[in-house]
Amino acid sequence: MHIQNVVERVSIVMATTKSRTSSFSRNLTAVPSSTNPGLKYGPNGTIFMSSGIPDLDKILGGGFPLGSLVMVMEDAEAPHHMLLLRNFMSQGLVHNQPLLYASPSKDPKGFLGTLPSPGSAKDDKSRVRDPEQEKGLRIAWQYKKYFGEHQQSFDSNKDGKHEYCNDFDLRKPLERHFLNSHHIDCVSIQETQDLAALRNRCATFLTQFPRNDGNVSPAGRIAIQSFCSPQCEYSNMEWDMLSFIRSLRSMIRSSNAVVFLTFPPSILSPSFSRRWQHMADTLLSVRAIPDEDKELAKLLTGYQDMVGLLNVQKVARINTQVPVILEATTFSVKLRKRRFLVLECLNQAPIDGSSGSSYGTSATCSGTSKSGTLDF
Amino acid sequence: MAESICRALRDGALEGEHAPALTINDCIASPFGFNVFTHVLTQLSSYILAGKSQSRGLVLVALSRSPSFYVDLLKQRGFDVASSQKWIQILDCYTDPLGWKDRLVESGNIAHLYHEASSGASLCKNVKDMDKLFSSIIELGKGLVGQGKVRFCVAIDLVSEIFRHASISSVAGLLSNLRSNDQVSSIFWLSHSDLHEERVTAVLGYISSMVASVEPFNQSANGQRCNRENLSLLERNYCKGKFHARFKRRNGRVRVMTEEFRIEQSVINFSPLSSEDEMINRSLLPKVQFSLQLSEKEQIDRAKVVLPFEHQGNGKPIEIYDGRRSLADSKNEAAPVAAGVLQTNENSSKGEIIYLRDSDDERPDSDEDPDDDLDI
Repeated sequence: MHIQNVVERVSIVMATTKSRTSSFSRNLTAVPSSTNPGLKYGPNGTIFMSSGIPDLDKILGGGFPLGSLVMVMEDAEAPHHMLLLRNFMSQGLVHNQPLLYASPSKDPKGFLGTLPSPGSAKDDKSRVRDPEQEKGLRIAWQYKKYFGEHQQSFDSNKDGKHEYCNDFDLRKPLERHFLNSHHIDCVSIQETQDLAALRNRCATFLTQFPRNDGNVSPAGRIAIQSFCSPQCEYSNMEWDMLSFIRSLRSMIRSSNAVVFLTFPPSILSPSFSRRWQHMADTLLSVRAIPDEDKELAKLLTGYQDMVGLLNVQKVARINTQVPVILEATTFSVKLRKRRFLVLECLNQAPIDGSSGSSYGTSATCSGTSKSGTLDF
Repeated sequence: MAESICRALRDGALEGEHAPALTINDCIASPFGFNVFTHVLTQLSSYILAGKSQSRGLVLVALSRSPSFYVDLLKQRGFDVASSQKWIQILDCYTDPLGWKDRLVESGNIAHLYHEASSGASLCKNVKDMDKLFSSIIELGKGLVGQGKVRFCVAIDLVSEIFRHASISSVAGLLSNLRSNDQVSSIFWLSHSDLHEERVTAVLGYISSMVASVEPFNQSANGQRCNRENLSLLERNYCKGKFHARFKRRNGRVRVMTEEFRIEQSVINFSPLSSEDEMINRSLLPKVQFSLQLSEKEQIDRAKVVLPFEHQGNGKPIEIYDGRRSLADSKNEAAPVAAGVLQTNENSSKGEIIYLRDSDDERPDSDEDPDDDLDI
């Protein structure tokens, strides 16, 4: 397990150092600036904002780019999108980034009480211990330089009080003083009959973060939960919802903010579900896994700890034509120590390739949802 | 497995959680959903009377059967009807759901109307108004258990009837408001899935925490042909079928269970599946094309392969390729090898250099330049 972690970290570190040594990329540091720890500069003039989940930031190459629309496809049978949403919102509050939260429940403020708090330093020790134990390994000389850098980045993370991405403890609620700030705006979308009011609300919120060539701070976050939830009155107006998303996307392009929107695709008709998926800059989907399934337990290692699956369908590429080709797109969602959200690559026994259909066309395991093909 | 459903409804909701909700789906091929509904109803009633459940009362919204039917049903199943008003209240949406009788009287067409004596039932005259329906249900429940922390269950006879009269979003709103109400312990409803669009079934699945479906054993493609095979199938499906349930568990996983059921005199009995019908959930995982394990045939084939350096020395001469083979040599080798060693020697002599001395007088290996003899 340790060796596996080590190998993963080496490959991740190698990937990040590759971009730095390339002669075509700007020689910008990957370490967040001390004045604005909530933002990180990446290649191609992109500025990243953390998702609140360290593993997800690594997978996406730094985080969510400012000006992008992140969409998460929910699974009707599992609430995993709430974990992603909570971490996203908490990260923003910890970094003092203003937040607009829209939810289909009658009392969205109640949800704020369930936001997690960053884990304390002593909880992080279990992760830090690994590099020390690595000294027992005999590492080939050409890789030693990567280890040295990896330890450096680790130390710099621990130094400042404000890290770019915190490890959130899902069992510890966020401290009151973060929630009492003036930066949080909550909207209930259950009663809204037309989306014009919500669109105006978003527009006024986004005027706080115009994108100029000047300095970047502040940055803002918009979190919309279960956008087409059936109890919302507008939920049968499919074209209206689509045009709302389109206008939201155009508004966000010219501001320094990120929109995080979750929706259950099983509630939408298939053609609209596809259209919504195309609207997203970054598209993730969460899926439930069956419980006590002996077949899956044989196929996957670590099945007992798994809570669900996360698929990365699309990664935002705003300032470049080069697509991201990830080595793995399916990750297992686990709760480390039942508190910290981690994403791991699936370790599975290889399946006989002759049985054919590729990942994109296979059906989901939930009987009721008909999400169709999920690849592009 | 039906027992675990009833137990889940009996145990109800934890503090701060939504109440567990069960959807019972059936279809024309296996129309036994109502039997399942009454089974759950009687089970829950016995739990309530025995004091084993979280709820102290049950509110039944009767849309497809009259309240007197339910009173008779309870009597048949051995419940004491006289004291039933203490623990069960029936909201009568069957007799006059749209308030036509009142309008008839008002319009003067009918002077006197016969009112059914309904014991323990209050009349609902407007099924279209979701808010009114919600408040009537809650009022009835409070009447049973009083104010405070005591809870009651809600059973909705036929949700499909409500969908006839109201929009999807308002019914979804009603159901989710019931679930999130503090005094509702659990809620269950019946739906005929072939009366609706797929979207409605998806919405019901989204809102509920348990989805149970009643299915026939073998779905025949063409239900109209009436030959011998189909008759026996139909006969089998006449009183038996498959009961399939999906539970959304608190840990975010989905528990899938299947049982067989049998109807005997309108009482349903559940038993474990006789035939093995295991679902393989491999479709969830990305298919890797590598197969690191060999099947038996492949192992045998691998053992048969003779490696190049192995098949020499079996009586044939060992040839070491030295890079100087000319075309002529390779042609000669195509000749039958039975000729043996001799032939190879002859072949190899083709490339020799033959040196003949000019004269024997010369001292051997003289260093003189032979041109020195010339007088120039």
